[in-house]
Amino acid sequence: MEESSSSSTRSAAQTHKIKEKEPQKGGKKRTKAEEEEEEELFNFKSKSTEEEEEDEDLSDSEDSIFSGLEDSGSDEDDDDEELSDDGDEEGLDDGELKLEQTQQIGIETKKETEETGETEETEGGRTEKAKQEDEYVHDSSDEEDIRNTVGNVPMEWYRDFPHIGYNLDGKKIYKPIRNKDELDDFLDKMDNPDYWRTVPDKQTGSDVVLSDEQVQLVNRLQRGQFGDANFNEYEPQVEFFSRDVMLHPVTNRPADKRSFIPSLIEKEKVSKLVHAIKMGWIKPRRVEDDSRGRYYDLWANEDSSILARHKMHLPAPKIPLPGHQESYNPPPEYLFTDEERALWEQQDPCDRKLPFVPRKFSSLRQVPAFSRFIHERFERCLDLYLCPRQRKMRVNVNPEDLIPKLPKPKDLQPFPTTQSLVYRGHSGLVRSISVSPSGQWLASGSDDGSVRFWEVCSSRCLKTVQVGGAVKSVAWNPNPSVCLLAVALDSVVLILSPSLADRQVVLSSERLLSAPQEADANEGAGPVTWSETEGEELNHGIRLKIQHPKAVQQVSWHAKGDYVASVMPDHSSNLQVLIHQLSRRRSQNPFRKNKGLVQCVSFHPVRPYFFVGTQRSVRIYNLVKQEMTKKLQANSKWISSMAVHPGGDHVICGSYDCRLSWFDLDLSTKPYKMLRHHKKAVRGVAYHRLYPLFASASDDGTVIVCHGTVYNDLLQNPLIVPVKVLRGHEITHDLGVLDVTFHPTQPWVFSSGADATIRLFT
Amino acid sequence: MSQLQARFFTEDKRYIVDDVPFSIPAGSEVQDLSNVINKLLEANNASHSKVEFDFLVRGQFLRTSLSIHMDTEGSYDKTARIWSVEGKAVMTVAGHTDVVKDVAWVKRDGLTSLLLTASLDQTLLLWEWNSERNKLKARHCCRGHTGSVDAVATDPTGSKFCSGSWDKMLKIWSAVPTDEADEVEEPADRPRKKQKTQQLGLTRTPLMTLSGHNEAVSSVLWCDSEEVCSASWDHTIRVWDVETGGMKTALTGSKVFNCISYSPLCRRLASGSTDRHIRLWDPRTKDGSLVLLSLTSHTGWVTAVKWAPSHEHQLVSGSLDNLVKLWDTRSCKAPLYDLAAHEDKVFCVDWTESGLMLSGGADNKLYSYRYSACQTDAGA
Repeated sequence: MEESSSSSTRSAAQTHKIKEKEPQKGGKKRTKAEEEEEEELFNFKSKSTEEEEEDEDLSDSEDSIFSGLEDSGSDEDDDDEELSDDGDEEGLDDGELKLEQTQQIGIETKKETEETGETEETEGGRTEKAKQEDEYVHDSSDEEDIRNTVGNVPMEWYRDFPHIGYNLDGKKIYKPIRNKDELDDFLDKMDNPDYWRTVPDKQTGSDVVLSDEQVQLVNRLQRGQFGDANFNEYEPQVEFFSRDVMLHPVTNRPADKRSFIPSLIEKEKVSKLVHAIKMGWIKPRRVEDDSRGRYYDLWANEDSSILARHKMHLPAPKIPLPGHQESYNPPPEYLFTDEERALWEQQDPCDRKLPFVPRKFSSLRQVPAFSRFIHERFERCLDLYLCPRQRKMRVNVNPEDLIPKLPKPKDLQPFPTTQSLVYRGHSGLVRSISVSPSGQWLASGSDDGSVRFWEVCSSRCLKTVQVGGAVKSVAWNPNPSVCLLAVALDSVVLILSPSLADRQVVLSSERLLSAPQEADANEGAGPVTWSETEGEELNHGIRLKIQHPKAVQQVSWHAKGDYVASVMPDHSSNLQVLIHQLSRRRSQNPFRKNKGLVQCVSFHPVRPYFFVGTQRSVRIYNLVKQEMTKKLQANSKWISSMAVHPGGDHVICGSYDCRLSWFDLDLSTKPYKMLRHHKKAVRGVAYHRLYPLFASASDDGTVIVCHGTVYNDLLQNPLIVPVKVLRGHEITHDLGVLDVTFHPTQPWVFSSGADATIRLFT
Repeated sequence: MSQLQARFFTEDKRYIVDDVPFSIPAGSEVQDLSNVINKLLEANNASHSKVEFDFLVRGQFLRTSLSIHMDTEGSYDKTARIWSVEGKAVMTVAGHTDVVKDVAWVKRDGLTSLLLTASLDQTLLLWEWNSERNKLKARHCCRGHTGSVDAVATDPTGSKFCSGSWDKMLKIWSAVPTDEADEVEEPADRPRKKQKTQQLGLTRTPLMTLSGHNEAVSSVLWCDSEEVCSASWDHTIRVWDVETGGMKTALTGSKVFNCISYSPLCRRLASGSTDRHIRLWDPRTKDGSLVLLSLTSHTGWVTAVKWAPSHEHQLVSGSLDNLVKLWDTRSCKAPLYDLAAHEDKVFCVDWTESGLMLSGGADNKLYSYRYSACQTDAGA
């Protein structure tokens, strides 16, 4: 067995070698032959496709084409047996069979050409072609497979027979003799290069070697492609339906009638549902109640501030992107001209538009190290460090809205607006003025050592009294039933009786002056001496002289006209204020302690209070209880003047640091309002007796008139509106207006200035 | 006795006298002047027979006395002066112990005329002036006011006068001079003897006191013989009935009134106030606060206004801005003329009967103006 097998293998090997040689021989021939084959195949194919188109699925007819070829298969009978054994081949489609058969044709033709020889190749091929073409001409689709006439029956019916069918002549077609054992089969598998393409024909039981074309066809079909290699599956599609509205509808079928009438079936269904709902069989879906906390709110206790912080996240400022200037090769327009460069060098580093000079380099390689790198990094770090971490909520407040709504000055008339009269006559600066309670006379005291009396309405000086010293202060007795004037000069207070009033008034003032003398004795050695004047001075109207120990700065009358207070500012003494009683010719010092430099004093207009203005504050003393009731802090450095409202509940203070402070005694000890309208020191302040007006005189040469309504209602604060700046006085020796006072009945204001004039503004 | 300088001209060659000024008594009437001329002609020509002459003074026939063409002025030197229209001080009336605020003629016909002076010394003096002898005699001293008397006005008949004072009162007095002094209640403790010696003339007390003003009375006038009108610093003009002594109407302004003037021709009141405006009022309106017209051109207080006695629409005003302005009420925007003669404040203006305007001011001068030519004659 072994020998035989080995011999057989040898023989097989030999045959194999021979077979190997053959292709080598025919290698060159084959090229030509192949070309021809291809042509043939193409021709055949084109025809076969034509046939397919014609015959469609009639596979049976094709078999008939090959009916005459049954002999050719005899060469390879061995393979046929195998084929019949393989049950797998049965599953092949008709199409495959077809291909197999066509392939077979190709093979046969090949063999024929080989047999005929090289010379006759071309001719033979052509004749073959012609023959085949003829066959096809006579071919008809109705023809059956003429190689085997059993028809389309399962071939396993012939499994136990030596034949597999009958040919056209009615003779048995015998199965190919199967002499191949497994070993032969294996050797064949190993040696035959076409083994993989050899398939058994079920109809004839012979093996068929598939040509390359057929293999490609099988591959294409297996990949799901079209069998015809030339078929273009991506031909441009002809659209018959587009988005454009066509003139004619795609379908013109009228709408069905049923689309217009309610559906009976639906009605039935709905009525069933309705009935079920009525009967309570169907219930509406229950709404889930979430309130009892079906879900846990993870974010409920989230701190809102954290959220807010996230919301208010501010990105760090970005570095501006480099522009053309920063380029190593900037466009020429970005390079500095000489002028620009000079300008850049002149400018302050902080003013420069660019922190560097744009420079041009021929290549990036030549760019030097950046000298400002550290500096720039540092600045960037600073930016990041100092950038705002919080968004500033900018409140959009119109500055106009912040100004309190004040009435217009026009609505607050009357108030003095224009200068009407100028009282000229003094030769020195007029320090003090005072208007008689009737409003007919004006008294003025000047540095030229005279006191003048003027008629208000005509500006005529009716009387001049030389008192022999610079007059510091004049004050008309506020009592209308007496006509007296207190004058302070040097260390003397003079009481003048100008006899400008009614005889009765003059008499009553005389009576007041010629008071009982017994008071003198009681007084003994007081700080002041009272003396009556005689002779020339008496003729001038000077009636009393009150000699003080120190220089007197101010005199102030009590509203009843019997008491007059004088001020002697002195840092070191407690003898700064004296109150004199005219009727008894008595003087007293109300204060035992020195509480600061007294600037001005004033009596309360109705109640027994006494206001003492020191350098920084105003003290209010109760004269009956002999105690201090209030101390007003003026918030200014040096109070110059003070005036008490005729109602007695308000005080204004002028100070040398340009301020005017209004105190509401019911409100607080701090100023209710500070007015800073003056440019220079405020020298004098005054209230009007009847009109809601007050005025302040300043060294800047102006008198500012303000409206100051005081309400009886304690809840309503005073309304203070500056209404008018009155100019007229010339500034001489840095002194402007020195004193200001109102007319007692008219809304007129008098001011005396350093330019030796008194002016009336109406 | 006041003398006037006079020159006599004539077209008639027969009656030419020497062209030299003659000193003539101010009280001379036509007859006296005729006698003077006849005397002069007789001296030149013995065959001259007496002729009655008519005299033209500034184009007007002289009918009565020369002193009609004269005016008086009160001043702050405690005197009043009588001026002739030619600009000479005829007479100085000195009697007050204080400033003279206002003057008024009571009657100016005949040889004796009566004039009133109101003074700051709270009295009014009624003077009798004999123009022939140029002699002045204080007839009555009117006491009663307790403030300076700022205004005085005589009623159209000349029998009464009214005074307004700083003491807010108006007082009506009799202007008829008598030889008996009214009884005055003197305060008991007053040293009577001293006062007696100071007194000039006989004391007279007011017939009636009109009180109602809240402030000083600045100006008074008579609308007719029964009505007195007064302006005050309390921003009102009040019209009073003299018969009953009650107030009839009140016109309320917004500023102090300095002066008022009434024109019987157009029946309007003109007021000057401290706010630089001259306002025209109709005193007959009951509610009273109606301003018909306001004339605005002055830049200072208007201290004096006066209607023209013979012209319906003209009025003259004086102001503290040194200007006297002549207005025509038909053109209220601007005055007809600005008379800028004064160098200081103007305090009073007036018209003479002959149509001259007069103004006095704080520069101690009295100016007279002729309207047609607008020339000025300066007083001393």
